[in-house]
Amino acid sequence: MITQHQIRRRMAATTPLLLSLLILAFVVAAVTLGDRATARMASETLIRVTLVVGFWIFAGNSGVISFGHAAFACVGAYVSAWTTLNPMMKGTLLPGLPAALAELHWPVLPAAITGGLVAAALALVSGAAILRLSGIAASIASFAFLAMINTIWANWTPVTGGTSSVVGLARYITPWVALGWAVSAIVIASVYAASASGLALRATREDEVAAAASGIDQYRHRLLAYTVSAFFCGVGGALMGHFIGVINPDGFYLDLTFLMLAMLVVGGIGSLSGAVVGVLAVSLAVEALVRLEKGITLGATTFALPPGSQEILIAIAMILVLVFRPTGLMAGREIMLPARWVVGRGTSQDRPETDRR
Amino acid sequence: MAKIGVFDLSVRYGKLTALSDLSFTMPEGERLFISGPNGAGKSSLLGAISGAVRAAHGRIEMDGEILSGLGPEQIARRGLSMVPEGRRIFASLSVRENLMVGTGLRRDESAVADDLEAVFTAFPILRERANAPAGALSGGQQQMLAISRALMTNPKVMMVDEPSLGLAPKVVDEVYDRLCELQKLRGLTLVIVEQSSARAARVGGRMLLMRGGRIVADGDAAEFAAGDLLTEAYFGDPA
Repeated sequence: MITQHQIRRRMAATTPLLLSLLILAFVVAAVTLGDRATARMASETLIRVTLVVGFWIFAGNSGVISFGHAAFACVGAYVSAWTTLNPMMKGTLLPGLPAALAELHWPVLPAAITGGLVAAALALVSGAAILRLSGIAASIASFAFLAMINTIWANWTPVTGGTSSVVGLARYITPWVALGWAVSAIVIASVYAASASGLALRATREDEVAAAASGIDQYRHRLLAYTVSAFFCGVGGALMGHFIGVINPDGFYLDLTFLMLAMLVVGGIGSLSGAVVGVLAVSLAVEALVRLEKGITLGATTFALPPGSQEILIAIAMILVLVFRPTGLMAGREIMLPARWVVGRGTSQDRPETDRR
Repeated sequence: MAKIGVFDLSVRYGKLTALSDLSFTMPEGERLFISGPNGAGKSSLLGAISGAVRAAHGRIEMDGEILSGLGPEQIARRGLSMVPEGRRIFASLSVRENLMVGTGLRRDESAVADDLEAVFTAFPILRERANAPAGALSGGQQQMLAISRALMTNPKVMMVDEPSLGLAPKVVDEVYDRLCELQKLRGLTLVIVEQSSARAARVGGRMLLMRGGRIVADGDAAEFAAGDLLTEAYFGDPA
């Protein structure tokens, strides 16, 4: 005899699997059907999946919008650059690096993980202050944190190179590397969401007072989610750096912050599936519009959108989503297999269940 | 030893005094109604005991242990559970998740499963709707859920703020029936804020009548309904 609850748990367990298959299919399609540019677009999209899913671990479960997560990407990218760049190059580009860092010449994988860990450590320290605030006050403090990190990075020239770019990062990101990290982020995000801490945090999102009355220490759970969340944003930042090969502080500032927010809002902040679908939807729309701006030829005539229309159309699309579907494309729902699939044919007499978190 | 002891408790919001030098004790297993007109300080009293409202001075004890100064989540973990006014359930979480929220810090997993089973037996509708979002329940069902969620923390003392608020009289009857059953079953100490002294008299128990942040009468609820104390509390000269 299988209970409703067991069915429900099996269904929930299919969510990370289906999301991973979705992005796998996306990569396979991009690599086999498209050209090199399409493959690069796929890599970039999957790096964004890592970033936005990381962001969702905190923002989605706590309901607190953070404007500071791009700063974690910044830290991750620079840590990876500091540890992987050729020591000779570091001597010229970043003369102020401490000797211990300047000598390092690490492989890329430990560098990316370290980038994530340093970002997580920074989140633990900064979050200890920021997360004592609630609601909009926490959001504004996180924005101040972003501005602080950006200012420090732009002016700490001997160590960060200041506003001039750090170049020469090993460009090792293929769609498959990006896929590996995106899948890791999805798996950890769903494990966290299903944990006791994830549930407690979602309860505080719904009602802080009732959550406290149920014995939940909001601050502790928020800090845990913030730290885990920063790890994946740090890794995502490292991946971005190695994808382009060049980093500078403004690459991890307002543009990235708003892009991540926009993707999460379009997909729907209420579910992990929303985070993933939001990235895919916005990335594909941007890609299509960029190509239209370059022009497509139909017979003798070439049709092209005026330059800049991409940004405008994406903004209009976002407004339309907010107006007509304020909870995002996924509206808080998760992608999961229906009950009859997880039970086995013929054994289930259960009615279909709602799949809201 | 008294289960709950409140000694010289005062609560102020800025210049406004909500409770002034209020004292009472209650033994284990008692059912205590707190009644009185709007602004009497009923919710402030519950808030102060549960840790949601900070006391200006005074002392609150449970089993001899001082609760004053602890946060609401720490007090909840000591076995004092609060069902806040207005059925504050977690609307977008499922009914089961609502119930599990209160168990996050309990390590006795098999006892949690037993408690969940007990709740589902007491409230079959919750079992039926276990996977539905809690916001989709009716008002009465949400009140049952809020009470059940508090039960899942395995409390010794449960405080319910206005369980009848916004519910049809028939549903209120049902809520009280269940509350009394649960109290008998688990030996709970129960504190209930109830505007209607007639209802309190029908359910039965001790009643504190409050007015202007003070206790103006303390006795058996059934006797209040008959006497003039109530009229005095609502319409008489301020104390």
